[in-house]
Amino acid sequence: MKDTVELVQRLSAHPDSRCWYVAWNPKGSLLASCGGDRAVRIWGKEGDSWECKSVLSDGHQRTVRKVAWSPCGNYLASASFDATTCIWKKKNDDFECLTVLEGHENEVKCVAWAPSGNMLATCSRDKSVWIWEVDEEDEYECVSVVNSHTQDVKHVVWHPTQELLASASYDNKVCIYKEEDDDWECRATLEGHTSTVWSLSFDPEGHRLASCSDDRTVKIWKECTPGDGEGDGSTDTWKCACTLSGFHSRTVYDVAWDRLTGALATACGDDGIRVFKEDPAADPEQPVFNLTAHVPKAHSQDVNCVAWHPQEVGVMATCSDNGEIAIWKYESEV
Amino acid sequence: MAVRSSSEDLFDSILMADNRFHIEGYREGFEEGTRQGMIEGRNHGMLHGAKLSAEVCFYHGFALAWKCLLQNSEDVKARKRLKAVESLVGLIQKFPYEDPEYENLQEDMEKVRAKFRQVCSLLNVAADFREYLSGSSGMSF
Repeated sequence: MKDTVELVQRLSAHPDSRCWYVAWNPKGSLLASCGGDRAVRIWGKEGDSWECKSVLSDGHQRTVRKVAWSPCGNYLASASFDATTCIWKKKNDDFECLTVLEGHENEVKCVAWAPSGNMLATCSRDKSVWIWEVDEEDEYECVSVVNSHTQDVKHVVWHPTQELLASASYDNKVCIYKEEDDDWECRATLEGHTSTVWSLSFDPEGHRLASCSDDRTVKIWKECTPGDGEGDGSTDTWKCACTLSGFHSRTVYDVAWDRLTGALATACGDDGIRVFKEDPAADPEQPVFNLTAHVPKAHSQDVNCVAWHPQEVGVMATCSDNGEIAIWKYESEV
Repeated sequence: MAVRSSSEDLFDSILMADNRFHIEGYREGFEEGTRQGMIEGRNHGMLHGAKLSAEVCFYHGFALAWKCLLQNSEDVKARKRLKAVESLVGLIQKFPYEDPEYENLQEDMEKVRAKFRQVCSLLNVAADFREYLSGSSGMSF
């Protein structure tokens, strides 16, 4: 481990509560956080320091589990345990609640915006994944409900370029969805983890998917190109190309693939943040990832989320059960 | 020698009786069990089938009613909703009522449920089969 991670700033984001998730806006000028205090907070840089710019506290009745910025940066979606998803519109420096998406039977666990900005996906403890379409008048319509998991769905993420969606669940599986005759269908089920899959991240090109789990491993999945004799065309095939095991001593809650450098960061229940880099000399079919940096006591409790800055190389944000956000600078010695 | 042989036969029939009654008992028990199992299985199947059919038919009635309400509208939104309602009707019509051993029954049922929830969201109505059942405790099948 020759690389370094230095603390830039620590923020008491959701005091006396948990901070569940952080998300950078596309420009990287704002950071949104959410937590057990039912609030969403927006952070911006003033001089050298990150300060709270607004608090969105009147949208949800229960814990806000995830937040997501639209690709244009003008909208923010928040998913809550109160079974709703709020869509917030940015107006100058403030946010107003534009609409509330209802339909899930219970806790909404995640929300994600498609790269086109025209679609949104949500998932819930009710085992379903919903796909919503957005029209020009900011109206949201459900285009599909998919029940492919047999348990709580923890996370949804869109492919960076294609209209392809992936979900992770308490049933230890990952599902990949595509649109099929006006409906969304599960095209592939990725089995391999031996416990809850908590989060997912596509690599910058979208060729591979990283998944992290309660089984203390991270798996890298690769899509098999059609025509090599596998599958009959009605399903897609994804194969586990590599498993990162032995690095984490507790549940891995989040994994993030840096769009800028290709480095892979993880957030772990052992209070650690780790950065992995791919060995460029390895066979692409059997990739090798090396641990290049490890922050053992990043927060005083579980690290729930890690997010790379979309523009500034090496900057990342993490958040924890202790209610804090930390901003870090990762320096790679090459 | 003769005494010994007859005594052997005597013991034989006593020793074998255990075996014989065991076989007979097994056969009788098996028949009785089969009969009881048939009744139990039939009841279980009836109950399960009734539950499933009630749910599917609840969705069918809901879909047909909304189809009637929407089909004469020219509004773009209504067309979109009608399409979703029709797709729900389509799923229900394809539903395999006749084949109790159909292997994808559970998956098809999940598809119908998912489509129903999407339609409810599009129509902005809160309808739930379980609530409907619990709200009509006076009804019986």
